[in-house]
Amino acid sequence: MNKNIETIYKGILDGDQHLVAQQVTDALNAGLSPDMILKEGLVAAMSEVGRLFENGEYYVPEMLIAARAMQAGLKLLKPGLAETGVKAVGRVIIGTVAGDLHDIGKNLVGMMLEGAGFEVIDLGTDVKPEAYVNAVREHKPDIVAMSALLTTTMPNMIHIIQALEEAGLRKQVKVIIGGAPVTEEYARKIGADGFGYDASLAVKAARSLIG
Amino acid sequence: MNSLERLQRRLQGEAVDRPPNLDIVMAFAAHHIGRPLSQFYIDHHVLVDANLAVCEDFELDIVQAISDPFREAADFGLEVEFPADNLPINRKPLLAEPEDIKKLVVPDPATGPRMSDRVEAVRLFRERVGGEVPIMGWVEGALAEAADLRSVYLTMTDLIRRPEWLEELLEICVQVEIAFARAQVQAGADIIGLGDAVASQISPVMYRRFALPYEQRIFQAVHEIGALARLHICGNTNRIIADMVASGADIIDLDWMVDMKSAAGQFGDKVSFLGNVDPVAIMLQGTPEKVYAATQYCMTVGGPRSISGAGCEVPDGTPEVNFHTQTRALCKIEGIDQ
Repeated sequence: MNKNIETIYKGILDGDQHLVAQQVTDALNAGLSPDMILKEGLVAAMSEVGRLFENGEYYVPEMLIAARAMQAGLKLLKPGLAETGVKAVGRVIIGTVAGDLHDIGKNLVGMMLEGAGFEVIDLGTDVKPEAYVNAVREHKPDIVAMSALLTTTMPNMIHIIQALEEAGLRKQVKVIIGGAPVTEEYARKIGADGFGYDASLAVKAARSLIG
Repeated sequence: MNSLERLQRRLQGEAVDRPPNLDIVMAFAAHHIGRPLSQFYIDHHVLVDANLAVCEDFELDIVQAISDPFREAADFGLEVEFPADNLPINRKPLLAEPEDIKKLVVPDPATGPRMSDRVEAVRLFRERVGGEVPIMGWVEGALAEAADLRSVYLTMTDLIRRPEWLEELLEICVQVEIAFARAQVQAGADIIGLGDAVASQISPVMYRRFALPYEQRIFQAVHEIGALARLHICGNTNRIIADMVASGADIIDLDWMVDMKSAAGQFGDKVSFLGNVDPVAIMLQGTPEKVYAATQYCMTVGGPRSISGAGCEVPDGTPEVNFHTQTRALCKIEGIDQ
């Protein structure tokens, strides 16, 4: 592995955003392709972060700062990726459903998806069904991701799926859901295509839906 | 046998007519008496009436002053909105920048509007059902309080990026929580519950540094003035059960994803585990048959000191029949069949 990329990889695992930004800049100046830096540095490191999380070696704090470091590098890569026509693995619209202002789970999933090579459009929190519908029309995502922390807001996921159906958009997208009270059984019940028990498994669910 | 006697005996592993049920009930309770949530959070009379009604109608063995996480934070100065019939909302952290810590004004439980309202709830419970039904006051753990003031996201990053600063904040928080716990015990609380939800999201090493020492100090203060301590950490705590036992809590809540059998097998002689019926999949969405089976299973694996309850708050909208089924199941636990 190239030394710059090796340092980027390690910098992400350590959550060192300044080191990652510096090394991405150095790697680009040294002529490495943005695509290579993305795949062998950022995506590989975030895949390892996901593995460490699943194994109980990393927890939310470690995952968050790793994702921040990854984002610092990704920001620098984006112009080059666009210039060279590198396509994202898929496009995801993500948000916390109406009535719910909790964002840490949603943010974590969004960052992990970015770290897996997805393009992520974050609609924020308290997102109403019509906002999801408008965003699907505008951005034409592959996946719509919804998060809810509260049992009281979880039912709003159904309203979003219904709104997508009424707008004739449901068949164009895959829907994945997650959040503390959400279960796989609930996902099936409301007609979602996938379920993420945690941020790492949400990425796996998204990948499997993209095919 | 009244509820207080039932709990006291069960904590000692002595014979009871049925295991006590210490479900956490908040939004459900407000709506059970037809009151909007904002009144439940703001007016202790509503909170007390709601609890007494739920306690009587569903044979719970507790009345509780728990309502929302923002009692102490609001009195620190956090801006909290109370939508008419929804959960309280905070839109921006009080400690957006680390240097904001210098501006913190430490609240007094006797005069802080939201903290004193909870103290008054405890006092009213004492007047109404003292000596009959266990009265539970509530405080945030120091780490949970820090997250209330600073936001969960920033606190999670502070754990790694500025641990000494975070410890400075935790020291301020723990002093407030100890004072708040004392005020509630003096007003008549038999139990102080401590919620430290964010603790399930961090590593055991971090838990031992940033959560456990503060839980221990709060519980020590609670014990010194003669009350019981209950530790409530939502989420998967399988990896920190031994540490939670070291907190000194008399009762440890286990959320639904925790292995109650394993926890009770290792530490059931030292502490009472409470749980751990799935509040959503079983209590809210499950059939009475599922509630019955889950309630009996938890008490069977939890051992002679275990206490019944859902792993976390029983959600608003839970079918009433599921509460009644809990009681029915508890009366038929093998060995204490009524």
